[in-house]
Amino acid sequence: MSTEENLHDLAKYIIKYGTSLGADQVEAYTIFGSVKSIQIERGSIRRFTDTSNSGLGIRVIKDNAIGMASTTIFTEESLEKTVKDAYALAEVSPPDPNFKSLPYDPKAAPTISGRFDEAVVDISVEEFTDLILDSIQEATVRDDAIISGNFNAGIGERYILNSEGVDRFASQTSVSGYLGVKIQEGEDIGNAYYYDAATQMKNFDHIKIGTEAGLRSKKMLGSQKIETASLPILLDPDSAYGTISPILSSGINAFSVFNRTAFFVDKIGDAIASSKLTITDDPFIPEGTDSAGFDDEGVVPKKLTLVENGILQTYITDSYTAPLVGLENTGHASRSSFASRPQPSPYTMKIKAGSVSKDDLLTDMKEGIYLMSSSIHSRGDNPQVSAQINQGFYVKDGELQYPVKNAVIGCTIFEIFEKLENMSKETENRSGHEAPWMLLSPLRVSGGK
Amino acid sequence: MISEQKERMLDILEYAINKVSLSSKDFLDIRYAYAMGESFTVRNGRFDSVSNQTTGGIAIRALIDNAWGFTTIVKTDKESILQAAEKAVKMARTGSKYTKQERSISDSWVFEGKGATTIEIDPRAVDKEAKFEKVVKTEKAAREYSDSIAESSSTYQESHGNEIIINSKGTKVENETHVIRIMKNIIGREGTKMQSVFDSAGGAGGWELIEKWDPEEEGLKAAVMAEKLLIAKEPPSGKMNVVMDPSLTGVFIHEAFGHACEADAIIAKTSVLEGRIGEKVGIEEINVYDDPTVKGLRGSFAYDSEGTKARKRVLVEGGFLKEYFHTLETATALGMEPNGSGRAMNFNVTPQARMGNTYVDGGEMKIEEIAEIAKDGVYLKDSYGGYVMPAKGQFYFSCQMGYFIENGEITDMMGNVGMSGMTLEVLQNTFAIGKPWEPAFEGTCGKGGQWVPVTGGGPNLAVSNLVVGGSK
Repeated sequence: MSTEENLHDLAKYIIKYGTSLGADQVEAYTIFGSVKSIQIERGSIRRFTDTSNSGLGIRVIKDNAIGMASTTIFTEESLEKTVKDAYALAEVSPPDPNFKSLPYDPKAAPTISGRFDEAVVDISVEEFTDLILDSIQEATVRDDAIISGNFNAGIGERYILNSEGVDRFASQTSVSGYLGVKIQEGEDIGNAYYYDAATQMKNFDHIKIGTEAGLRSKKMLGSQKIETASLPILLDPDSAYGTISPILSSGINAFSVFNRTAFFVDKIGDAIASSKLTITDDPFIPEGTDSAGFDDEGVVPKKLTLVENGILQTYITDSYTAPLVGLENTGHASRSSFASRPQPSPYTMKIKAGSVSKDDLLTDMKEGIYLMSSSIHSRGDNPQVSAQINQGFYVKDGELQYPVKNAVIGCTIFEIFEKLENMSKETENRSGHEAPWMLLSPLRVSGGK
Repeated sequence: MISEQKERMLDILEYAINKVSLSSKDFLDIRYAYAMGESFTVRNGRFDSVSNQTTGGIAIRALIDNAWGFTTIVKTDKESILQAAEKAVKMARTGSKYTKQERSISDSWVFEGKGATTIEIDPRAVDKEAKFEKVVKTEKAAREYSDSIAESSSTYQESHGNEIIINSKGTKVENETHVIRIMKNIIGREGTKMQSVFDSAGGAGGWELIEKWDPEEEGLKAAVMAEKLLIAKEPPSGKMNVVMDPSLTGVFIHEAFGHACEADAIIAKTSVLEGRIGEKVGIEEINVYDDPTVKGLRGSFAYDSEGTKARKRVLVEGGFLKEYFHTLETATALGMEPNGSGRAMNFNVTPQARMGNTYVDGGEMKIEEIAEIAKDGVYLKDSYGGYVMPAKGQFYFSCQMGYFIENGEITDMMGNVGMSGMTLEVLQNTFAIGKPWEPAFEGTCGKGGQWVPVTGGGPNLAVSNLVVGGSK
């Protein structure tokens, strides 16, 4: 075995070798990634990066105990040591009575169109640089604008094999970038950023990255502290997605449900939000950056309605957690890295639109806060929220007055879901993530004035 | 890694660096980085992760005519490394056509030496059973305390790293690091109310740093607190006096000030502290420093990932801004001395200007005296993370719990809450510096996708006009 051989052969060898050691079940998860990156500092190129990385994560099961090991070093000696390490850890670990089996899914993984683009693979450093310089040009809203950022273009490959017959391969291209722009007038600082990501070069809007980052930085000039008050909050689609998606991810993943720490434990069939909220999770969106024909255990996922008119419809599961919560495996296993054990996580959510115009939502706001790419976060499993407003505006009589600085929204995630007062009929779709403008009835906003 | 292997690797890296054609102005460095780690998590009575991790490879950077080229490789033979080095140089040359900033690395700083974290008891020689016992007993003691404990978990981590760094200016450094940590995370739940209690012990060193962790006591302590927090009052909202315990002072100074002192943000003009060396940024009594050379702390190391010898950095003295965190590039660009702040998470990434162990110097006041001066406000404890936007000078940090201060007395307990402040205001708004002084915040700091171990701390510290984000 050597790095010259392909990752599929390598994964097959791992399964065979682990089984020969005496393992009951073995899983090999291998990744390969190759990325070109360009870093921008003060409006010009600072660094070109070209890296290729591989990683292997192994799970070994012996007498219902699980051992895991990972490596980035693909020599025969290193690979065999990694399998032996995982096996040795399984041998000394206590058995897990909840573990049933690694999965097997005979279904063919659906082909999702637009996940791979030769144009991303083939782009030269010079072509990529030209595109970035155009973006910087758009962001240069003033001669003294300080522009920084990073752009990446690359390919990722994923092989998942296990001793139960799972044998999957997928590859994906990705191009992404962000720019931050800072402008200053005395002590007054306008600072904002914008990003975009796509699987296809044709969908990557590098011009918009520059335009939006520049425009937003100008808008952020003149920020002021506000009085502490209870105010309605209007979220733009980026803020809405960034608020709702993590709450739901923590709230309905079956691992947390089983551990009784999920926000929405024992709530299937119950109202968890205002009736305005309907959310689907779709793994198969063409050209979606988070789309996948199989999950991180090789199981073909399902498109799910997660919340319908405020009623929780299901939890998301993987092979370990599905039996624990009495549901079928929805194919939502996800690993944060090749070295991690999988846990359920959503793919791409779509938040259903409402019936009023976004302009009316703002115009009808007598006093409140408008959030721009600034989500209302809780911390992990904690339902208490104290979220700083990173890019937000004070609204008076339906108009944005000035950017807000040094302010925090305090509430619980349950309040956020209950107080979803209205959704706009317009939505924005960024890399498959779709959300409308969203109005929350008053939440406590602490201000520094 | 045995010394024979290190010598062989050093020879290979030197071969490559000597073969690449460079002018005297150019800079090339090659860093071999190998790390292995082991971790276990027990959650609600079950092992949900027992794993070990190995990463290894070579990072190559070239700075040619003001632009950087960077690449990595996992092969360790001479010719592959040479090829990768030539690739980095070629990328830098291409980049130099587009760059507008003047960038170079001074010839003045050449480091040679070997550094290693001192370990008394090598964790690799400790039985797995002994390691398991620590986390199993911690988790069990918390879980069995009460039905209101929804989730009890405990994690053990150890990591061992080797770096060999050479550069075209003559630096030749070998560095060995060992970091160990045990953690507990307890979540109490009553209906929809949930409160978490997190704590950890460990540092740069060996098993001796966690040997005294009494699992039953630690588990029980966390569970008792989690249950108390479930009936604690809701935190208040608005601008107020905030008194911080040493742990919260640690995360506060890290987020409020430390990040804005990182000189990569200074040369990029994205920190509000740019150009303010020598300016008064805080009250006269405030002193802030960062010291990666303190033995045993989580953010300690002998040499950074550029091979620069680490030393104590005095950030604020008598209220005046004195120093930034430097890489070789930022020190050259600003005409200052490097101070060993160039840290890289692994071989896949480039060094960034980072903190190590960041502290506010202690004063003399007791907590009761501080509360009396504060009169009304909150006394907040136990850090729960944070972040900062250095370009804007606005930061956020949060605590696990706290108490109200009413009429100069510390009164009722409250649950977790987050706070917002402005970098250029907070040290000026400090009104009391207390004791004790503790390195109480043990964390992992994220920047540009890289995570490195750090600590922070200081005394009880009182600041006015912080915005507390409660819901009442």
